[in-house]
Amino acid sequence: MTVISEADLQGLAADLLAAGSTVWGPARVPGTSRPGVEYRPLREAAELDLNAGLPLLPLKRVFLPPTEPLFWWERTAAEVRLVPPAPPSGRVVVIGARPCDAAGADAMDRVMGWGCRDELWFARREAATLVTVACERPADEACFCAEVGLGPSHPRGSDLLLVARPGGYAVEEITEKGRALVAAYPHRFREDERATLDELTAAEGPARIDLAAVQRWLSDHFDDETWNEIALRCHGCGACASVCPACHCFDIVDEPDSLLAGTRRRNWDSCQASRFTVHASGHNPREGQHARVRQRVMHKFQVFPKRFGRVLCTGCGRCTRACPAGQDLFETLTLVSARALETP
Amino acid sequence: MRELRELAARLLEANDVQVVIGWEEWGRGVRPAFARTLAEADRLVFDQRCVHNLATYLHPRRKHIRRLGRPAVVVKGCDARAAAGLIRDNQLRREDVVLIGVRCPGMWVEGGAEGLPGDRKWADRCVSCPQRTPTLCDHLVGEDGPEPDGPGLEAQVERLQALPMAERWAFWSSAFERCVRCYACREVCPLCFCDRCLADKSVPQWIESSPHQRGNVAWHLARALHLAGRCVGCGECERACPAGIPLSILNARLQQSVRERFEFVASDDPSVPSPIGQFRVDDGQEFIR
Repeated sequence: MTVISEADLQGLAADLLAAGSTVWGPARVPGTSRPGVEYRPLREAAELDLNAGLPLLPLKRVFLPPTEPLFWWERTAAEVRLVPPAPPSGRVVVIGARPCDAAGADAMDRVMGWGCRDELWFARREAATLVTVACERPADEACFCAEVGLGPSHPRGSDLLLVARPGGYAVEEITEKGRALVAAYPHRFREDERATLDELTAAEGPARIDLAAVQRWLSDHFDDETWNEIALRCHGCGACASVCPACHCFDIVDEPDSLLAGTRRRNWDSCQASRFTVHASGHNPREGQHARVRQRVMHKFQVFPKRFGRVLCTGCGRCTRACPAGQDLFETLTLVSARALETP
Repeated sequence: MRELRELAARLLEANDVQVVIGWEEWGRGVRPAFARTLAEADRLVFDQRCVHNLATYLHPRRKHIRRLGRPAVVVKGCDARAAAGLIRDNQLRREDVVLIGVRCPGMWVEGGAEGLPGDRKWADRCVSCPQRTPTLCDHLVGEDGPEPDGPGLEAQVERLQALPMAERWAFWSSAFERCVRCYACREVCPLCFCDRCLADKSVPQWIESSPHQRGNVAWHLARALHLAGRCVGCGECERACPAGIPLSILNARLQQSVRERFEFVASDDPSVPSPIGQFRVDDGQEFIR
């Protein structure tokens, strides 16, 4: 099968940069209080660091930037003129995405294409090729991708899937886009008959949560003491949503540049913020923290699967890692799953 | 540990309080716990991993905690300073809470220095802690530990201060660029208790909510300034930040200014008024010219 060496993978990043592509990948960031890597647009191929684990901030910013203009407006005597932003142009290649991030983007495709097609989102999705690196082992005990129908080498959302082998990676071509990338840079890849894809997801043991049971229990327990209990330690800080590869809620704001012109932007938002659901009347249907904690679990494991047939969670564990108060989504799911199975 | 658990049990049993807010073990270390039964009190822990400032749960905004009844809260030195801040700013009545002080041994965080087990190092803020053992407390438990050592926060402030202004600006610009405006820093801060934050006001929009450079710089300067003379250096904002923005450095520099100009340190004595909360005729006012 097709293989690529570590040096050639970095070489591929250099080739792409030289050809004018935007290349994203995990890279070290100076001046941060959190050690590790972040997904960054690379300035040079040498910045690529594939051995420093899972970045805390997810890949979604490649497709849904934390802030982006939707249009500019200008008021003249006769009319209000709207200027749309230039469509995203140029090729984007992500090298070193993790399977949970690739699957997150795929989950967000459902909602971004539901009812109306989000042009900015899909323009970025179509311009981008995702070269994913399978995880050799869970990043830490917060990971639970195998429990939500995915796994450390799951191909969902990836264009190429790289599986580590001594000195490099075995390359699995998942999509046409992935095949095209291999075909465009043939000198970086080679065939090796001895290489096979290792079975990475073996020996996972029995599933610890039953997603169907979770969905059923959630449907029947909108009002339940469990939510008050789980919400006690929650600060409502929203770090969980910021680091989630599948959370996609946004706010739309107008920012005037003058009395007659300005920008309409969309910005990341979070259902954990106390003012997220405040109505113009002043009424807030999610007044208490328990209602906001419940919303996050409900949306991911009840509402979304009901509509799209799968959960809005890729088991990356980032929310658990980021939570300053020790909130643990997998613990919540385990609890709910157990309660659901006790009371069929 | 036993001392803490027994005290918690006594307070609950006497119905002096209805909940003891402390820490419990979980899969990834320790986390805030809300003990309402004797069995729960028996699971409370305290050690060098208990970084969380639990005084945040005493906010008037934390209505879901207030509903539990009268709380006892376990406080380290910095946490007691935060509780004092809430009392000083009229957000908490002293008699509405029982404060269980712990002689703080200094907190350990990830980072790998020699001498501490498990690749740990002293938290930067603990190295220059003005007071590890609280005086604002109804009970005091635990044992003193050795003096934390390491470069500490003040060394970082000095290093940054020594740079030319353009380089300092570059440092903070690149730090603020990573902000996604989740406001985790604000929500976990024990002294960010406003019912409606300036940053959430939209008519007019004082601070742009977009995470672009203009909005982010405005937010971070406003946040830091609103905490000048109130920040207790607990480091919760920085710990909560998913983008790893080193907010503690900014906070520490602000508190330096307050100390130099107003001779004020946010101690755990709530009877000392803060610079923002008093009028003094001998105030230098050198910023108005």
